Amino acid sequence: MNKIITCLDGSAFSNAVCSAGIWAANKLSKPLLLLHAIEKENVAAAEDLSGAIGLGARSSLLKEMAALDEQRSKVALEMGKEMLANAQTIAEQQGCAQIIQTQRHSDIVEAICDLESDARLIVIGRSGQGNKPDFNAIGSHIEQVIRQVHTPVLIANKDFSAPKSFMLAYDGRETADKAVKRIIEGGLLHGMTCHLVTVKNKQSGLMEKFKATEKMLRDSGFDVKASFLEDAIFAGLMDYKTNNEVDMLVMGAFSHSKLAQAFLGSNTLKMIENTHLPMLILR
Amino acid sequence: MLEKMKLEWLSNIRGDLLAGTVVALALIPEAIAFSIIAGVDPKVGLYASFCIAVIIAIVGGRPGMISAATGAMALLMVTLVKDHGLEYLLAATLLTGVIQIIAGYLKLGSLMRFVSRSVVTGFVNALAILIFMAQLPELTNVTWHVYAMTAAGLGIIYLFPYVPVVGKSIPSPLVCIIVLTAVAMMIGLDIRTVGDMGELPDTLPIFLWPDVPLNLETLYIILPYSVGLAIVGLLESMMTATIVDDLTDTKSDRNKECKGQGIANIGAGLMGGMAGCAMIGQSIINVKSGGRGRLSTFVAGTLLIIMVVFLDEWIKQIPMAALVAVMIMVSIGTFSWSSITDLKKHPLSTNIVMIATVIVVVATHNLALGVFVGVLLATLFFANKIGRFMVVKSEQATNGVRNYQVIGQVFFASSEQFIESFDFKEVVDKVVIDLTHAHFWDITAVSSLDKVVIKFKREGAEVEVVGMSAATETIVDKFGVLNDPKEVEKLMAGH
Repeated sequence: MNKIITCLDGSAFSNAVCSAGIWAANKLSKPLLLLHAIEKENVAAAEDLSGAIGLGARSSLLKEMAALDEQRSKVALEMGKEMLANAQTIAEQQGCAQIIQTQRHSDIVEAICDLESDARLIVIGRSGQGNKPDFNAIGSHIEQVIRQVHTPVLIANKDFSAPKSFMLAYDGRETADKAVKRIIEGGLLHGMTCHLVTVKNKQSGLMEKFKATEKMLRDSGFDVKASFLEDAIFAGLMDYKTNNEVDMLVMGAFSHSKLAQAFLGSNTLKMIENTHLPMLILR
Repeated sequence: MLEKMKLEWLSNIRGDLLAGTVVALALIPEAIAFSIIAGVDPKVGLYASFCIAVIIAIVGGRPGMISAATGAMALLMVTLVKDHGLEYLLAATLLTGVIQIIAGYLKLGSLMRFVSRSVVTGFVNALAILIFMAQLPELTNVTWHVYAMTAAGLGIIYLFPYVPVVGKSIPSPLVCIIVLTAVAMMIGLDIRTVGDMGELPDTLPIFLWPDVPLNLETLYIILPYSVGLAIVGLLESMMTATIVDDLTDTKSDRNKECKGQGIANIGAGLMGGMAGCAMIGQSIINVKSGGRGRLSTFVAGTLLIIMVVFLDEWIKQIPMAALVAVMIMVSIGTFSWSSITDLKKHPLSTNIVMIATVIVVVATHNLALGVFVGVLLATLFFANKIGRFMVVKSEQATNGVRNYQVIGQVFFASSEQFIESFDFKEVVDKVVIDLTHAHFWDITAVSSLDKVVIKFKREGAEVEVVGMSAATETIVDKFGVLNDPKEVEKLMAGH
């Protein structure tokens, strides 16, 4: 549990991801792992609709397709190397002590899962290479990553500068309590202003829990600004975020079961979709 | 899960649509030809191809693979259809599906690892030969017109792709069929056409329960066929899946494919279709045409039934010679020609396995039997080879004491040699048998050791066995060393 896995892919968010990774690595004094996953496209390149198969059709087709894949991979490999080298230079300039470059042939989700056992934090952009820069929805991989890993995930948005304050959405559930515990135990957010925001829900004793959490954070040395809102959850959080100077959002991920979410939608995903701030998801 | 579905269905829409169309066109003649092999109306094969392709597209474990009515399966049903009729074939198809689903749940897909490469090659070659042989009845006792048509058809199929521009965008088997049909209709040749071979579908398939008595007698009739069909179907599907895996450099879910094929066959049986499985030739055509996702299989099945239902009047006019030409192409494309040139390079035992598989299949028309013989032979050859990994060293220690050190693999194939390695005629007071570096794989090995000990005792020698527990660690059925380097090293120490 000690590397900052930073996922680069050459998309519009790559620079922000890189800066966020460097920031986290420096703050936590952990090695920075720059990860580039070479993803395989499921699209056929050459088309031969003749439908005729002759002598040795299988082996010649295999050769042809392997050669094509080889070309594609080589290009992707080179591009990735260049990108990683670039990122390394930037990281070195900003004082990262330990930098590791890794390239893997797989889906980014798989690559992250493979490396997760040695991860302290995963930094990823909100959408990948395939999408246009003004693409508003979150990338298809984000949800998979958040669901599958057990390490905190930092989702970088368009720009990233070292945050001074963060907003913690606290709903009194177990996942939120865990998130608070991790904030206090981990070092990433130490020294920042904490906007503790709770939106009233059906849970009983939420107010007491909210107060207790505020005290706990304060005792741990955070500068806490606590607010108890009575709006609808999502709108309340969004409003608070815009009205106060918040640099980063922090949430415990997915309080619903997968089934419930399919019907209700999750606030976490909604938040990711509708914000331009970097977002830290604690598991 | 939604993500995965999107990836498997919608990530290659253009390629899948085009490839699916090409495959649908190629499937029609094949489905008709295989129905004729099985001895049923063309509509049985066409309905089957539709149902199987569409269902497996949804529930199969290998996106991009084409499944439909196949020659391998058709060959197994010939006698069932001849002796008992179509309804029993439909019932057998249902049962085949059930058996395949059970196989999927028992994870038998992983058993494919026991089928060696030579057996796979033999299977593929035998299949190609059988498809070719099935065309022979169409080519015997016919006028020269048929030969001319078939030759012209083959010419079109293989040469048309070289025509610039259109060559690579219009399937040449389709061109072959259209041209030959037009020629035959224009000059009014009196040769056999698809219409002569039986009924074609004029509606979409409808649900119908096979009209057989539900009793044990029926089960006795259909069970042997269903078991054979299930085995051959799974074998060919697993082999095709491997081929598609290799071509596209992706993985397939074999047990899901087993279950999926079971469901597809049940669907086919209930819709009046015969049993089917994955098709090597068509899957290669699909990948070659750019098909990668589930959509290609789905499109192939759907388009097939649409074309057949709307064009049945035209399809009836297709001369059999055109179909024969297409089937000869499929046979040639399926045959592994490199296996012939490899005969010189490969060791004799490998060649024997391959050729034996081919001979048994061609002789019995049963691919399951061929694979069984191939696997058996391959296993025997392997056991024989490993049996040679054994040596018994012997040295005189002190006066009247002889040390034997056994190194290597002791099991049924090497136990005789093991016994013979001891010199029972020598007069000694004490014999020490060191088994520390030996592996006893089965009880045959243990009983041969017992024999050796008893023999020495009879000669009046005292016997001491060293390292017995280490040697017999491998005798239990499951010893946990797979993927555990430390354990493997411990086990293989001294080899």
